[in-house]
Amino acid sequence: MSVTGSDLLGILAVGIVSVTALIAMLAGVFLKNSARLVMWLGLAGMAGAFAAAWGTYPSAGTAFGGMILAGGYASFFGMLILCAGILTFLLASDYLRKEGVEYPEFYVMVLFAVSGMMLMSAAADLIIVFLGLEIMSVSLYVLAGFMRRREKSIEASLKYFLLGAFATGFLLYGIALIYGTMGTTDLAGIALRFASAPPPSLFWVGAGLLLGGFAFKVGAVPFHMWVPDVYEGSPTPVSGIMSTGGKAAAFAAFLLVFVKSLGGGGAKVQTLLAIFAALSMVTGAVIAIAQKNLKRMLAYSSIAHAGYMLTGLAAANQLGESGVLYYLVAYTFMNIGTFGVISLIEQAEEKRLEFSDYAGLGLRQPFLGIVMSIFLFSLAGIPPLAGFFGKYYVFAAAVDAHMTWLAIVGVLASVVSVYYYLRVVVFMYFHEGPEGAEVISVPLLGSVALLLSAAGVVGIGVFPSSILSLTGWFF
Amino acid sequence: MDFVDIIFVVFALIVVVSAFIVVFSRSIIRSAFSLLFTFFGVAGLYVLLNADFLAVTQVLIYVGGILILILFGVMLTTNVVSVEIKTGTLQTVPAAVIVAVLSGTIAGIFWFTEWHTAPAREGPTTKALGTLFMTDYLLPFEIASILLLVALIGAAMIARHERGTEGGR
Repeated sequence: MSVTGSDLLGILAVGIVSVTALIAMLAGVFLKNSARLVMWLGLAGMAGAFAAAWGTYPSAGTAFGGMILAGGYASFFGMLILCAGILTFLLASDYLRKEGVEYPEFYVMVLFAVSGMMLMSAAADLIIVFLGLEIMSVSLYVLAGFMRRREKSIEASLKYFLLGAFATGFLLYGIALIYGTMGTTDLAGIALRFASAPPPSLFWVGAGLLLGGFAFKVGAVPFHMWVPDVYEGSPTPVSGIMSTGGKAAAFAAFLLVFVKSLGGGGAKVQTLLAIFAALSMVTGAVIAIAQKNLKRMLAYSSIAHAGYMLTGLAAANQLGESGVLYYLVAYTFMNIGTFGVISLIEQAEEKRLEFSDYAGLGLRQPFLGIVMSIFLFSLAGIPPLAGFFGKYYVFAAAVDAHMTWLAIVGVLASVVSVYYYLRVVVFMYFHEGPEGAEVISVPLLGSVALLLSAAGVVGIGVFPSSILSLTGWFF
Repeated sequence: MDFVDIIFVVFALIVVVSAFIVVFSRSIIRSAFSLLFTFFGVAGLYVLLNADFLAVTQVLIYVGGILILILFGVMLTTNVVSVEIKTGTLQTVPAAVIVAVLSGTIAGIFWFTEWHTAPAREGPTTKALGTLFMTDYLLPFEIASILLLVALIGAAMIARHERGTEGGR
């Protein structure tokens, strides 16, 4: 095999991101005070990669001898992850300056994390799934501990690293067993073998371990223990990209392996996924009620959201699959937006992260109040915002797949979740703020990011077909 | 049991016994030195499987690189030689149940699976591996180099000196 132009075109988007990361790294080494420059360089690179992903979207296929997907599905996830990366960059620069850690390495690591996520979501071979996941995870371990003077940040990094390494072990063992029974790591090859003859039970052990590894990365119960501490301790923009881009990449690979290759995996896997989904939705929603810290509340809510998305996977029908993709887009905009507002209001030394710090905010700072309300209403699933349609699609898919009980659990969990999302809104508008509370100046880049996210949440909520028409032909 | 089987059992015993010492020994120096036997034993198993390149790499990287680094780390750190590391166990009962179930499942399935063994490959594998890296597996090969670079930068960032003033370099 020799590398052709179409191979390179197939990995153009992720290639641009990786090369930008390398240039940014060198710029950070050789130029003084280059953090701003590196940020703009990274933004330009990601915008270029977005254009490349958009341009290659119609030509779906594979590149490098069936190693990696090109166009179509890969472009869709590439664009989604790049959106998360761009919004994170816009929100991070002021946050980092506020915390006194504005170094170029932050942006370099985010770029590498983005390229890992893109690789993982485009994988056509289990080896690429593993390598992409590791690039993403190693970058995120470092980013979680980026504020080395903060004890919680170090704790987040160490916990994420130790548990993540353990989960990687599961995943790799699973891949080894699948290779042992199927004789190939190529997902298309595995799909062929799987369809032609029932695989031996050893294969199911491998698939189970792989499932455990993915469930860890999406933060689903019972592999969720790391989520609250890591999201709380990481720098806020990092929590944002971890919970959105990371989750999108893990779900993309999850769909590629279990839906595209194994055709849903059969009734047993679907039941297992349904149990994971129900446990995640209930655990996340119930524990989130008791939280005082907003980042911790969002961490538990992200466990619940992983549950909603797993509902779509458990249903394993066409509506469920495009529902998950729609949900991921909606979740990316609304969650990065929420973490963005939190990062603006947060003060150095982890101050102003509690519900009570939001008292009177809506009247004092109308812009922040309005966008935060949009994100929270969407997270709660109130029409006509994107979060509502995401939930609607996955629950409808569960009913179609004769899993009505799962849809009922999901609806009940999201009713519970309305309490803690709206509680922030109640604090913002119906509680008196402290006398002489300072008005936070909203930086330009940050408000651009918040406006874009809010526009995304409202836009794809009002026009859900804009996403569904992009994803309709993937499965 | 023929000659190859006996060699296999010898290597497997070396690996398992030394791995137990690594985990259960209270002296970190003893753990580090038993790790040496674990790595060598695994390299021996690779040789038995005709994976010559893998065996040499195992010796070069794990024994020659990682283990020596660990030993230097231990020896250059003050007082660590005499420190008793904590090897207590928590949550013994649930852990025992989970481990028993997991290992039981895996052992049972290994026992009942019909293994189809690939025909043994004669001769050195290095050239074939190199060709594969530059053809079919070119993309994973390149991505792995990015992964290593990321790990390198990450390690340097975590281990760097604290920068002087707030916000500046």
